[in-house]
Amino acid sequence: MLIGIDVGGTFTDGVLFAGQEVKKAVKRPTDNNNLQTVILGVLDDLLAAVPAHTKVQRIVLSTTLVTNLLATGKGQRTALIMIPGYGLPHQAYQLSADTFFMKGAIDFRGREIEPLSAAEIKNLADQLKQMGIKRAAVAGKFSNRNRNHEDQVAKILKEEYPDLDVFLSCDISNRLNFPRRAATAYFTAMISPEWQRFVDEVERALQQRGEGIEVHVLKADGGTLPLETSRYFPCETIFSGPAASTMGALALTMDKHNSLVIDIGGTTSDLALLVEGLPLQASRGAQLMNQYTHVQAVSVRSLAIGGDSPLIYKNGRIDILMDRIGPAACFGGETATVTDAFNYGLSLQQGDASRSEAYLQKLAQASSLDLDDVCTIVIQQVVNTLVEATDDMFKEWENEPAYRVWEVVHQRHFTLDRVVGIGAAAHSIIPSVANSLQVEPFLHNYADVANALGAAVARPTLAVYLHLDTARSLCAVEPGGIVEECGDIDKYQLVDARHLAMKYLYQLGKERGMDDYLDDHSIFLEEQFNLIRGWDRNGRIFDIGAQVAPGLITEYQGVRR
Amino acid sequence: MKPTGVLFFPAFDWAISPTHPEREERLLYTRDQLFEEGIMDLPEIREYKPRLAEPIDIGAVHFVVPDQKASLLEAHFVAAGSTLVLADAYMKGEIKNGFAIVRPPGHHAMTVSHGNRGFCNINNEAIMIEYLRHKYGVKRVAVIDTDVHHGDGTQEIYYHDPDVLYVSFHQDGRTLYPGTGFMDEAGGPLAYGTTINVPLMPKTTDAGIHYVIDHLVLPLLEEFKPDLVVNSAGQDNHYTDPLADMRFTAQGYAELNHKLAPHIAVLEGGYSVETALPYINMGIIMAMAGMDYSNLREPDYARENFRESFRNLEAIKKMTETQLNLFRHRQDTIDKNRRSQGEFFSEYQRIFYDTDYIHEEQQMRLRNCPDCCGFRMLESTAQQRNGKLYRVLCISVPINCCSACHDQGAEVYQEMIRYDRYDYVYLQDRIKREYRSFNTEKAEESIIK
Repeated sequence: MLIGIDVGGTFTDGVLFAGQEVKKAVKRPTDNNNLQTVILGVLDDLLAAVPAHTKVQRIVLSTTLVTNLLATGKGQRTALIMIPGYGLPHQAYQLSADTFFMKGAIDFRGREIEPLSAAEIKNLADQLKQMGIKRAAVAGKFSNRNRNHEDQVAKILKEEYPDLDVFLSCDISNRLNFPRRAATAYFTAMISPEWQRFVDEVERALQQRGEGIEVHVLKADGGTLPLETSRYFPCETIFSGPAASTMGALALTMDKHNSLVIDIGGTTSDLALLVEGLPLQASRGAQLMNQYTHVQAVSVRSLAIGGDSPLIYKNGRIDILMDRIGPAACFGGETATVTDAFNYGLSLQQGDASRSEAYLQKLAQASSLDLDDVCTIVIQQVVNTLVEATDDMFKEWENEPAYRVWEVVHQRHFTLDRVVGIGAAAHSIIPSVANSLQVEPFLHNYADVANALGAAVARPTLAVYLHLDTARSLCAVEPGGIVEECGDIDKYQLVDARHLAMKYLYQLGKERGMDDYLDDHSIFLEEQFNLIRGWDRNGRIFDIGAQVAPGLITEYQGVRR
Repeated sequence: MKPTGVLFFPAFDWAISPTHPEREERLLYTRDQLFEEGIMDLPEIREYKPRLAEPIDIGAVHFVVPDQKASLLEAHFVAAGSTLVLADAYMKGEIKNGFAIVRPPGHHAMTVSHGNRGFCNINNEAIMIEYLRHKYGVKRVAVIDTDVHHGDGTQEIYYHDPDVLYVSFHQDGRTLYPGTGFMDEAGGPLAYGTTINVPLMPKTTDAGIHYVIDHLVLPLLEEFKPDLVVNSAGQDNHYTDPLADMRFTAQGYAELNHKLAPHIAVLEGGYSVETALPYINMGIIMAMAGMDYSNLREPDYARENFRESFRNLEAIKKMTETQLNLFRHRQDTIDKNRRSQGEFFSEYQRIFYDTDYIHEEQQMRLRNCPDCCGFRMLESTAQQRNGKLYRVLCISVPINCCSACHDQGAEVYQEMIRYDRYDYVYLQDRIKREYRSFNTEKAEESIIK
């Protein structure tokens, strides 16, 4: 049996899944101040439904803990120590008030341009001690090509100030983009101890409830990560909510079509795309606190419109408000909402349809409009908003920068096959949206638990980046923070570089218990450059990316309709 | 504040040959630097995706012999198309200015293109300018060429066009390819003074080049009042460039760009792939975006490295005075030329294609029109790289010419296609945006779409 738990903004959903069926679904209000209790409560409800002598193999948690800690300012005060060298002005990198800039510079091939100043770092250690700052993130420009400066800074800081917790950006990400690397390290440092505590508690709670259950957390890219590994990469768990519903859509459709996934919640709708059966990833990585990070995330567009969005008549027009007052009138609420407009306008007969009519009638009177016109206006506005956002998403995907002739000549074009509705309100709203986009709607009776289902059946993912510079014997690998000298790569060809990337993929994948999925890998990046100095080649640079992409676990065989 | 548009197209799958300066590696470290700095994530910058230029956009500038399909690669269409993306973004008001960091380059490509010269097949800037003139009605354009090589292609394309000011400073043609760009190359008889060349001695430094900017280029722009300023942003004046011998720095380039404030900049040459390009490209983007670039420098830079010689600075001062004077009195010269000649001006040229090793012979005839800058007829002969010998006639009717010239150009075309004196006869009618090509052997006309 499988368990998936998705912590949402308002509700926490859980499903117990076995043999193509949701055996039990649980919904509890989310208490952001006490997430552990909510999660364990949902878990206990689900475990109670597990028949005797049946085993739960795997639990996947999709939690908003990290996002909440950061959004509510509960992350601990952290120093961000940057070694930016030359280029953009330092103020471009001022991520927080506690940002400190150190001397030192490395270039794009990992050569030191300017040494660190040990005295400056020692002074900084004193300063941090006096300021009472106990955590620090260190980020150097091009530390992904040479990590010596970051290592040295950490060493001196620890010598001078042993109580300081130091996080290095090159351990967390090896990709280009220094500000994103710095931001990711900074946020990791801010919330790491809280995340460790959370992991400890979940582990303890599970031990009490039975040994040997595999526990994963859902990542922003739609894949999972073993709970234990998440200790090193807590930021990977952000935005798992939209990832959960996107994976839920994949779990319900299980094919390689191009789908638009719309998760309609109470007051928000999240739009995502499945491109040939794979969740489309945001090209710039996830944004946390208005900063781009190196966290790979499903590309999501959030709109402030949902099934419970209240309707009012104001300044001579019918408006859709952003803040939830309560459920739709047809489900016992005291205000007409978007759901009511669809319910009455399209004669969907949901809940108590007469209540939809009664509350909409008030709006009709206030606006001196026909009841039908009120519904048409609201439906049109909702559909238009969703369709416009969809068009934007397509265009943005088609207009992603391209760096090769081949990519420009073979222009991307997105042809939509269908719209998948997720969330309780999807049943009323999605058919009209699909109709407007001239495709079929896809609505499943599990649509309202699809997020938790998606978490339950998502498989682990792993992306390995390899950068080789044979002329400098440089080998850099992500994840893992490997930036080292590699003596035997000077004769490497593309095929050797690919093999090496594979070696790391398998090695890291096995450490994460991903054995079953490693053979289903793909190469998503393959670049080779001959380095010419004078008229001769003196080396090669390779950039290889190998991954196990998001997908469904092998145990999952689909759902019965 | 509107962002600066950046179109980064390193063409990681295109090279002239594996070890050629124009190879895949050229913008690799620029990619590393730009991406590592995270400059594309800043609100001041908006990144654009390239597109293919249409054949008709290229036809508005070039006579590609025998035709575009046979002579051009997809990479050329992408680089040219990239400039059009930024041109559109600028005209639609999405960006305040834009920088196309693209390969292959274009400023050595002339009106007639038999192949590749100076690493260029088609002229990206000229294609963009004609596109802007046609689509948005832009009238006056200034092209400031800051590549170390004389942009003889752009110069030739606009040599007879008084509405396009072409200014180039470069390493003296006696010491560097293409061996032109001397002070007396100042424009055709009816467009005299709107081509301005400043040949600089090897080893000229920031101080020397900025003297040219401050005392010649900026006054020229002030007086010419262009609707649009384009920068042919070659980066090979840099002190580490392997093909040239100047002493310009990344700071110098950033400062230059800040002063020039071009609406659109387009990368041209620059072959110091590791020690110059990453820094200069950063500098230009920062300057265009109005960011502080004082923290930018090359790893081996030291301010005291280079000092301008007194003698060189004196020579530069004299040159700028002469050229400014020439520009200011250009109308007198044009009037004199109009009076002194018969119906046609004529000129003979030999053009060498260093990359493809082609020798082209060209006879140019320009109508001495009392009302406009005249139309051109180019009779061109060249043995191309595949051994084929082409003799073609190209008739070019510019967008700003009078109806008499326009009609006469069209008549000449109709007349000449009746004989088999040429392998191809081409008509480039920019007013009607009609680009015809007539294959005399097959007696077939095709129109570029």
